[in-house]
Amino acid sequence: MNSHRVAAAATAAIAIVLFALTFGFEQMPEGITRGFGAEVFPRLVLGMIVVLSVFLFITSPMGAALERIPPMVYYSAAALLLFMALAPLAGMLPAMLVFLLGLGWLWGERRAWLLALSALLLTALIWAVFVRGFGVQLPQGYFF
Amino acid sequence: MEAFLAGMALLLDPKILLVVFAGTLIGIIVGALPGISGSTTTALLLPFTISMGPVPAIAFLGAIYCAANFGGSITAILVNSPGDPSASATAFDGYPMARRGEAGRALGISAVASAFGGIFSVIVLIIAAPLLARVAYSFGPPEYFALAVFGLSMVAMTGGDSMLKNLIAGGFGVWLATVGQDLTTGVERYTFGLHSFTNGIEFIPVLIGLFALTELLEQAAQLRNRVEVAKLGAVRLPSWQDIRDCSKAIWLSSGLGTFIGILPALGATTAAMIAYVETRRWSKNKAQFGKGAIEGVAGPEAANNAAVGGAMVPTLALGIPGSTTTAIILAGLIVQGVRPGPHLFTEQPLLLYAVFSSMLLANLLYLVLGLGFAKVFARISLIPAPLLWPAVLVLSVIGAYAPNQSMAEVWVAIAFGFIGFFMRRYGFSPAPLVIGLVLGRMVEETLKQSLLIFDLSWGGFLGRPIAMTLFALTALFLLVPWALQRLRARP
Repeated sequence: MNSHRVAAAATAAIAIVLFALTFGFEQMPEGITRGFGAEVFPRLVLGMIVVLSVFLFITSPMGAALERIPPMVYYSAAALLLFMALAPLAGMLPAMLVFLLGLGWLWGERRAWLLALSALLLTALIWAVFVRGFGVQLPQGYFF
Repeated sequence: MEAFLAGMALLLDPKILLVVFAGTLIGIIVGALPGISGSTTTALLLPFTISMGPVPAIAFLGAIYCAANFGGSITAILVNSPGDPSASATAFDGYPMARRGEAGRALGISAVASAFGGIFSVIVLIIAAPLLARVAYSFGPPEYFALAVFGLSMVAMTGGDSMLKNLIAGGFGVWLATVGQDLTTGVERYTFGLHSFTNGIEFIPVLIGLFALTELLEQAAQLRNRVEVAKLGAVRLPSWQDIRDCSKAIWLSSGLGTFIGILPALGATTAAMIAYVETRRWSKNKAQFGKGAIEGVAGPEAANNAAVGGAMVPTLALGIPGSTTTAIILAGLIVQGVRPGPHLFTEQPLLLYAVFSSMLLANLLYLVLGLGFAKVFARISLIPAPLLWPAVLVLSVIGAYAPNQSMAEVWVAIAFGFIGFFMRRYGFSPAPLVIGLVLGRMVEETLKQSLLIFDLSWGGFLGRPIAMTLFALTALFLLVPWALQRLRARP
């Protein structure tokens, strides 16, 4: 199956699941809904998405399969998720510092002094502007 | 006139002057960074405008919007890698000019054409927006519903690799606007018991995810690409002969760009591409195009900057975004508690005229900055990706977190970063989704109100000529390009 059809099948499937979820919405008396319940509009929109997806599936020309996602995308996504896991534990600012150093290294920057300098400067800037300037309370973590 | 003068007087306020200057400078810098577009920047910086108040906030975002298009041309000319998608057409002739040692001349005409196009369109905005608002002042819910549907139909031509995919993405954007408590009945929709979703999905994390985080993953996929930088001679003003040679292209493209910008959902990139084709068509030097024709730089640059003012016309007068970036600016205004539309012209004229005058100032500022510091801005494009993109990500995280100081919103941003990456991979542009999200609530509310007026009968729309005209236009805009596409595809 070509990528257009995969996309069409995926969007139709998502829309159908979301449509099905509308049956779980709380039902209100007619006097409150005045004939236009909370489920009507989402159903209308999702129904149209299903129709458009079917149309896309039928009319899509045959196309080549997509290229594989380069491994660096997975590594970068994993680094992002690691950062999210680390932020509540170690605190947002230390997690940022680690992330800036780690992702920079992963993406090929080998000048350690440049990496360290830019990571430290940016983290300090964020602390100065957001924590000191705007009074934003960043997650502190368990260690600070 | 009084309101306009009062708006101009606001520019004497040092705070406004500072935000316009900062917005222009940031706009040029990020415009010059390949991969970071004006829409990414406005999405990224939106959270920082919350504490500014409506006038400085929109002046700041408007200045970024104006300047990013120009900034994009710097790397398009020097590196053959447009910093902003709207500068793609500029690279066709700008880079060949730079390669033969005329980078300064190309940057000079780009700055002059951009400023002319930008100022031309702001003048049109000042005249057209109040007129359009006056027409729209008599609109009721049915007309607004028809207008919003028309705006949504225009997403069919925004980004993406097919009209159908754009419409599907726009549909999901409208659906996303239904998440949270239904305003009429109080019923919670798609909140999955999460308190953070009760008031709906916040715009800021969605925008940051779809633009900034998606771009990070896209950049990770293209790390091996390297660019060749052309040598930059002294940046100088174009000669009178250059300006004479380009005047027709600049006038034509400024008009075209403004008109295309006014059409909902079509933005600077489309304007620049069409202007390039039209400039070539009307030029006496057709053969030079693609090899370094100076008109080939002037035309698209005048058009993409003219589209900025044009796109602000429906955004401010009707509350219908004229482009992806104006959809983000619209979201910024909503976050500030300001709902753009015709009533703004009577209720908050000062806000509007402050926007107009700050946009005029931004256009003049980037002309000066562009000519004076293009060499410096060009260096920015050389910041290594391993330093730049992790920094963008960290700023994205802070941007998503800061408004409500909530990690849940950072997770929303990351989720939309992944969604945006897969959308792009499968040929869906995130732009229609954003426009759908911004317009979604208006579509639902006006449809509900219309059906209540019509006693739940859809036939009621038949008695509203303006609404019917807008529906007819919607059908026309959807069917004509589709029919033409099918006809061309026939052997």
